[in-house]
Amino acid sequence: MSRRLRIGLISFAHVHAAGLASTLRAHEAVEFTGIHDEDPARGMAAASEHGAKWHETLDSLLAASEAVVIASTNVDHRRYAEAAAAQGVHVLSEKPLATTVADGRAMIDACRLAPVQLGVAFPVRSSPAVVALKEAIAGGALGQIRAVRATNPGQYPGRWFGDKHLAGGGAVMDHTVHAADAIRWLAGDEFARVQAELGSFIYGLAVEDCGLLTCDLVSGAFASIDCSWSRPQTFPTWGGVTLHVVGEKTTVDVDVFRQALTHYDDTAGHTRLLGWGDDLTARMVGDFARAILAGRDVPINGEDGLRALEVAVAAYRSAETKRPVAIADVRA
Amino acid sequence: MPLGVGVIGAGFAGAMHARSALGLDDVRVVAVAALPLDQAAALAKECGARVATAEEICAAPDVDLVVVATPTHLHAGYAMAAAKAGKHVFCEKPIARTREQAEAMVRACDAAGVTLAVGHVVRYFPEYQRAKQLIDDGTLGRPAMATLVRGNFSVGSAREWYLDPAKSGGVVLDLMLHDLDTVRWWFGEPSRVYARRFTGSAGLEYALATIRYEDRPIVHIEGSWAEHSGFRTGFELRGDRGMLVHDSRAASPLTVQSPAGPASPAMMAAPTLSESPYRRQLRDLFARIRHGERPLVDGHEGLRSLALGLAVIESADSGRVVEWKAPA
Repeated sequence: MSRRLRIGLISFAHVHAAGLASTLRAHEAVEFTGIHDEDPARGMAAASEHGAKWHETLDSLLAASEAVVIASTNVDHRRYAEAAAAQGVHVLSEKPLATTVADGRAMIDACRLAPVQLGVAFPVRSSPAVVALKEAIAGGALGQIRAVRATNPGQYPGRWFGDKHLAGGGAVMDHTVHAADAIRWLAGDEFARVQAELGSFIYGLAVEDCGLLTCDLVSGAFASIDCSWSRPQTFPTWGGVTLHVVGEKTTVDVDVFRQALTHYDDTAGHTRLLGWGDDLTARMVGDFARAILAGRDVPINGEDGLRALEVAVAAYRSAETKRPVAIADVRA
Repeated sequence: MPLGVGVIGAGFAGAMHARSALGLDDVRVVAVAALPLDQAAALAKECGARVATAEEICAAPDVDLVVVATPTHLHAGYAMAAAKAGKHVFCEKPIARTREQAEAMVRACDAAGVTLAVGHVVRYFPEYQRAKQLIDDGTLGRPAMATLVRGNFSVGSAREWYLDPAKSGGVVLDLMLHDLDTVRWWFGEPSRVYARRFTGSAGLEYALATIRYEDRPIVHIEGSWAEHSGFRTGFELRGDRGMLVHDSRAASPLTVQSPAGPASPAMMAAPTLSESPYRRQLRDLFARIRHGERPLVDGHEGLRSLALGLAVIESADSGRVVEWKAPA
């Protein structure tokens, strides 16, 4: 690749920030322009650790960058995206796009007006197994998709992820969007209605740590999503993403992170799964960067992010009302 | 004196129960009925029993207990005829196709003073019993989430009545009912139910149900006749102090392969327990009858699990959350 895209990283609040920094530093399509963080101590330490330039001000980072990755708390996505758009800088936002549908819509509008591109971090689409399933579906191998049972359970991430203001909710806001986006993309379908049962059962949080969504799609297919922070502390990995897809002709199971060595570690006193599959973050960032360098649309855009966010927002409303909720009723 | 057993129905369930009764102490399979009658011949011969009509079985002095293993919509008629003749009844699950049928069976057996037991055999599977024990003794802490899956290839190609919802109740009453009964056994009576299902071509049928308890747990159940590689069960049970995971595919101590490729999918996994759960179920039932005790799953309990299955269907067909109130 002749030219690299100059990309900066905003905030180390998110648990994915360290992985994103490593990717930005190493990726052949990227020139890593440095880090800004609303918490200077955290940001300076991260810059030092990742061999990146520290930017005291957001403007300094934006001035040095053609694009930024936002790895802040969820509630801050909007203000950072709007600031980047105002400086003509493209945006790749961590998921969920925002904590409210209105904020997500505002981000899309700001980027369109600028105009800059707005991408959303859904690395599940970068899994070769998921891509293979997408191609099988497109080729008709499954027949009509009738049902999907999806899970994205994980360990409780801690930090601010249990803070309703900063995160926008709990497990539903954190994990629903990955599965919802994968289902939309794979099935070429849209969500129409959501029913959800939520509970705060495990960690004593003010937000839900357990959630189960049952969704109707526009085509008439249905899907369930288990988004719970249900993996115990002794679980051998952070969690996982699975899809059980029932087609009229064929049934397919996807376990995105199944490629792993089991490490029975006497030194550490625990058993861990060591993934050896593709680096999905690197593939996702590379696809984003190459699209912008080539002047193409980014593969996962703000509208995709908003569609997935709507499912999470509808789940909260369903749990409040104890009724299924139409997506149209939460749409901005 | 040995307990005499008459079996009505010589299909999958009838053969399973008859073979399970063979070899139990003080039990004799004396007669087998089927429609048409000649379909009972092979099983009767295997059991050293006579071929008889259902009416003859109910009237026979050497029959103490009647196994009802007919298509689901016919359970009630045979069970009530047996009760009226003073026979104990062991009925394959679901207890009946409709709530009214099940209630009539319970009334008839109570009035006749005979035992009515329902074959919710999962309560005799060691992996499900062990989970129950770890819930009850507090090892898992308070249950938070449970997911139970159960799938098979479509059985309709072998037995047409399964595909007629008026006869079998489809995948919800035939297959998912096992797990609906299991969650009632594990956690008690839930608060509300939400479900979706579809029926496809070639006997394909699939359902997802969410069963919510007033406080906790949240339970998700998959019932599938789209599991083309064959029978599978699994559960994941998360309490606030730990998690249990079961996957039948990872739990077989015996795997067979040959140059001819994998064997055609069997209805059930190969027996790898010294005593099958089906035989344990009958052994326990016969012991309880001898001691004048109630069966582990009586007619009232079978009725409640059927009613939960009917609530799942009601929710799936109406698109509404169904509030659950267990029948008495």
